[in-house]
Amino acid sequence: MRRPTLSEWSDRNFRWLLVAPAVCLILALSIFPLLFSLWVSFVNYDFQIPGHAFVGLKNFEQVVADPVARWSLVVTAILSGSSVLLEFVLGLALALALALTATFRGRGVIMSLIIVPLFISPVVVGQCWALMLQRPFGPTNYILSQLLGFDVTISWLTQAPWNFIALIVADVWQWTPFMFVILLAGLSAVPPHVYEAAELDGVGAWQTFWYITVPHIAPMMLLALTFRLLDAVKLFDIIFVLTGGGPGTNTYSASYYLYTIGFTQFHLSNATAGSWIFLVLTVIVVIFLVRRLLKPAVA
Amino acid sequence: MAVARRRRPLRPATVARIAFVGFWLLFLLIPLYWMFITSIKPSSDYLAVPPIWFPDEPTLLHYTAALYAYRGLDGLINSLIIATSATILSAFFGTLMAYSLARFNTGGQHLSFWVLSQRFLPPIAVVLPIFLIYRVLRLNDTHAGLIIAYTVFTLPVSVWMMFAYFRQMPGSLEEAALVDGCTRWQSFWRVAVPLAVPGIVAAAVFAFIACWTEFFFALILTSRNAFTLPTVFRAFLGFQGALYGEASALAIVSLVPSIALGILVQKHLVRGLTLGAVRG
Repeated sequence: MRRPTLSEWSDRNFRWLLVAPAVCLILALSIFPLLFSLWVSFVNYDFQIPGHAFVGLKNFEQVVADPVARWSLVVTAILSGSSVLLEFVLGLALALALALTATFRGRGVIMSLIIVPLFISPVVVGQCWALMLQRPFGPTNYILSQLLGFDVTISWLTQAPWNFIALIVADVWQWTPFMFVILLAGLSAVPPHVYEAAELDGVGAWQTFWYITVPHIAPMMLLALTFRLLDAVKLFDIIFVLTGGGPGTNTYSASYYLYTIGFTQFHLSNATAGSWIFLVLTVIVVIFLVRRLLKPAVA
Repeated sequence: MAVARRRRPLRPATVARIAFVGFWLLFLLIPLYWMFITSIKPSSDYLAVPPIWFPDEPTLLHYTAALYAYRGLDGLINSLIIATSATILSAFFGTLMAYSLARFNTGGQHLSFWVLSQRFLPPIAVVLPIFLIYRVLRLNDTHAGLIIAYTVFTLPVSVWMMFAYFRQMPGSLEEAALVDGCTRWQSFWRVAVPLAVPGIVAAAVFAFIACWTEFFFALILTSRNAFTLPTVFRAFLGFQGALYGEASALAIVSLVPSIALGILVQKHLVRGLTLGAVRG
């Protein structure tokens, strides 16, 4: 029997050769680091101390016992939850406002303007809002004073709860267009004859919304909420620029907390232990939401 | 001549819509306008009350300071090198894998969902060990190190966008090429890839924007040598008091290219944001 030539072999294994480079890259830069960090989280990994003594669950215990760590999970939940909810409501409102008024002059320009924040680095968005909110430089307090008729003197970046509001405003500014774009695609896919039939039957605007629009775009709503929520819990950049986690540790998100113990205090083993806890929490969310949601949307 | 259109009186719902869109545009544009104005405003105008919405003597001094004194230009060049290289690698490997997934269902749903799940990994969980591994490999603060990291971190987007693209592309032409005696490689390179160029370009632009705007990996994996444009902003955080103009100028330099690219591919935006799960 003749041995297969290289080209025959590569043709037979074509599909595996195509996936091999990408899979190897992900294994090398994602799976291997994760396993490595699992090992780090069970030893004492310190640049100053030679050798890596096995310490069991000590690193995990230290993170769980740290009140700042627990507070950072609360901060992550508050900030990501309220931002995503607001973005959803505002994005839906924008999509409804622009979907049904299908044609008017300048619509294209408005659409292009609305999506602009999606293409800006979160660091720049943070910087932009720092310029708006910082006392005494930013014009926000001045604008509010003019609108409300009394003197507003809020330290947006250093005073609770205003620092939370500042972070939410910046996040909403950047990511509402994300909801808008996906929900608008959902709205455009509702067949127009459904609305025409409803109008003929004299169905009111609210009923049309609840009984026709919502059920039609429900899968898109879930998809937009899931994707956005999974990104929102990673929250780091805007905090880094706007509040620096402050005042004190008041606005530490989970990512920001792990960053500080890993890269400013160099408690590397604690940081990897903490990031594994955070990873497991995220994976639970992913398994629950993504698997369930994407199957119908993809199929 | 134009036919005169009858104007119906505006309904309350229409008024509400216009008002809401108008409010949103103000909320959107005021911060951007303020940042732009700050970038050309002389420092002496910073603290004026009421705020100065247009300076009498605009200046470009902040731009030169941000680009040269604060090494913004070096960051810009690094960002260009790193984002371009990572984009090319990601689009290349992503297209290969996507083709296999779309045409041969390689690895079934498990493989494609495994790739997708990478998109939702918290970066902090990966970047800490990568930092430690790069330390051993001497890849910290090198262009190559960040290029590899960005290639991997944009792969899920490239794979899934191209996966969706190949699936809605009919496979009959490639089959015809096979019947005519082409090998699988030839039918891929000569038939499928040229047909998929619009999809590849769109996926590549999204990957580029993701690399261009990325901060977290760059913050941790680079310092004095391979730092990218977003990390230059660290210089303005400590003593913002004096550096409003420089920070704004650098922000403008950073956002103009990615917004321009984004507007160019906006018709692919829905696919880009949902990784191909929704067709725009």
